[in-house]
Amino acid sequence: MQPIVTFVNEEKEIAVPHGTTVLEAARQLYITLESPCNGIGTCGKCKIKINSETFLACRTHITQNITVVTENKEIENKTLKILAEGKSFSYPLQPFITKNFDGEKTHICGGDKHLGTETGNTANLLYGVSVDIGTTTLVTAIINLINGKEEASESRLNPQSAYAQDVLSRIHFAGSDDGLATLQKTLTEALNTMFAETAAKAGISTEHIYEAVYSGNTAMLHLACGVNPKPLGMYPYISQINGGEYVAAADLSLNISPWGIVYLPPIISSFVGADITSGVLVSQLFERKETILFIDIGTNGEIVLAKNGSLAATSAAAGPAFEGMNIVCGMRAGNGAVESFHISGGGSISFQVIGNVPAAGICGSGLLDITGELVRTGIIGRNGRFSVTEKSEQLREKEGKKAFFITDDVYLTQNDVRQIQLAKGAIRSGIESLLTALDLTADEIQLVEIAGSFGYHLNEKSLLDIGLLPAALKGKVRFVGNTAQSGGIAFLLNKEFREKMSTAVTEIKKIELANDEGFEKLFVASLAF
Amino acid sequence: MPRTKQELYALLSDAVVEMDEDTSVALSNESVEAGYDAFETIDQGLAKGMERAGKLFDESEYFVPELLMCADALNAGVNILKPYIKTEEQSEKHRIVIGVIEGDTHDIGKNLVKLMLSSAGFEVIDLGRDVPPISFVENAIKENAEIIMMSSLMTTTMDGMKETIQLLNEKGVREQFKVAVGGGPVSSGFAEKIGADGYSSNANQAVKLANEWCRQIK
Repeated sequence: MQPIVTFVNEEKEIAVPHGTTVLEAARQLYITLESPCNGIGTCGKCKIKINSETFLACRTHITQNITVVTENKEIENKTLKILAEGKSFSYPLQPFITKNFDGEKTHICGGDKHLGTETGNTANLLYGVSVDIGTTTLVTAIINLINGKEEASESRLNPQSAYAQDVLSRIHFAGSDDGLATLQKTLTEALNTMFAETAAKAGISTEHIYEAVYSGNTAMLHLACGVNPKPLGMYPYISQINGGEYVAAADLSLNISPWGIVYLPPIISSFVGADITSGVLVSQLFERKETILFIDIGTNGEIVLAKNGSLAATSAAAGPAFEGMNIVCGMRAGNGAVESFHISGGGSISFQVIGNVPAAGICGSGLLDITGELVRTGIIGRNGRFSVTEKSEQLREKEGKKAFFITDDVYLTQNDVRQIQLAKGAIRSGIESLLTALDLTADEIQLVEIAGSFGYHLNEKSLLDIGLLPAALKGKVRFVGNTAQSGGIAFLLNKEFREKMSTAVTEIKKIELANDEGFEKLFVASLAF
Repeated sequence: MPRTKQELYALLSDAVVEMDEDTSVALSNESVEAGYDAFETIDQGLAKGMERAGKLFDESEYFVPELLMCADALNAGVNILKPYIKTEEQSEKHRIVIGVIEGDTHDIGKNLVKLMLSSAGFEVIDLGRDVPPISFVENAIKENAEIIMMSSLMTTTMDGMKETIQLLNEKGVREQFKVAVGGGPVSSGFAEKIGADGYSSNANQAVKLANEWCRQIK
């Protein structure tokens, strides 16, 4: 007899061979357990409870019938801050998808191509969906293609994170047996659920959605389309998908109109994907005369610099520190996370915690705030070392080493500071490389636009205090939100952008940092606060 | 007032830890003038300082920039002392083949490991980045190395390290080498899984590992 494992919150159970891990069992049931290290036992994120005792799902082998309590993802999806909206601009309404009633039937066209017919007059039921496929989060918005109005939107965590957290781990996982199929299926199921929920909110039928725009990074586009992204993860980092192309929604098992299509916006380079193209579009970097720095801060920091319509782009491997990984008390921006922090003139600290709960950890924005304040007040030196002369009540020993305590349980270690230095150093050196590429200095930058849901929760002061941005950018920082999403909507609503951006991306100067002569020196210099 | 040998070595060690290139040069010259043994001055003075710097790095007290500056101070001294090393003292150095695994071009971490190993007296044969598994094997054999060190920053390329070890097995030379792996996504669990002999989380740990193994090899 095979032992049976029961997942209480999910109301699912399965019989598995003796010795199967709880993580493997969960995956067979498509239950999302976070396991960024893919079950090696190093990340400690796949915690579960059995008889109120906590275990790691990847290290727990099933030898008898057990009942498992997982962290409830639905609750996390509700408390997690996902940013659905981004800045946009005004453009004429000229959608790619059009409908035409001939007195008997309604014809659906995508550009010049006839896609299908519906009986009767359905001409006033014309919708598209903009899909932001982030590595961490998903956002869907149903757009009325007749009046351009956003009808409803939904967001949730990308369930692929359960298999592998960051982009590279996910590419790697896709290379394992059934890995690609599993990741695609997981994503498709989540998207279909979101489409149904968004449509229900909007009071429409998913059958009347005729086009989806996938605004995601290059790896996510591969996984969404079932294309193995392996070459993307190996030098010379080749993308199999260049975007500016269409896929039949039916081929991707999407529950929208049977004639529905999916548009993949053009990518800029292997590590600067369609989500950034969307951002470049809505920020109008090609049209504006100013010198503008556009950054999406995340595990990979994508950076675009525009000088009077000439663009250069790069991607910097910041690593997961900003998402709270590799940080002793790091966590995602959920309940209990310290999200902002301040030290007053008198030296006393104040901070804010997400949700009405005690502080449990520090999320990315909190990390940057804390580090920024410690650097500003000299508790951390320019070299990143905790000061030996500055006195602070919060600076105490933890296991023989100095740490800065926010509460008795939440603290920042010297090694945490080093991780932040590496992350910010990567992005800063990316900025410096682009400045060199366009023959500019930092003070010539007139405006900084920070995109992405992570960046939205940051503040300019911290970014300057830790030196992620050059000091010359003081007062020039704007947070533009989820431009992957607003750009996706722009692609839906005006077909002209498709041709235009496909050509425009080829004109962007692409900088590959690791191949850049002198990058090592630049990176090391960028580590200082 | 002439200093004793021991005082001088201690000051040289401090100069490296304090990243003080000028003092390192001045003290190295002083050692030469005093007629102290050049090899011993490096070994007991400068290299000791680098060892201390490595320990501080290990404890997160020093970071990459400090370590590089310490190495500058060390090398400034070594350059002065080198011509005075007696040939019989140039004992066989332990040889290490190092590189970034195929598919990966991120080599800043590898370069730091290389620097620390060289400072600690190892002869490091650097194969660079994007190095195919077979190249690690062939070069380790050709160079008569004792240790192979591979690094990777990208999860997607880690399988190449496993392949290197398989190739060593296939060629029947696995026992001739100690193999260590490291880099951002690499863990001790991974090292164990692919049959590597060791894992190091940073440049200082790599030196420790190499030292340990060479004591066994001796």
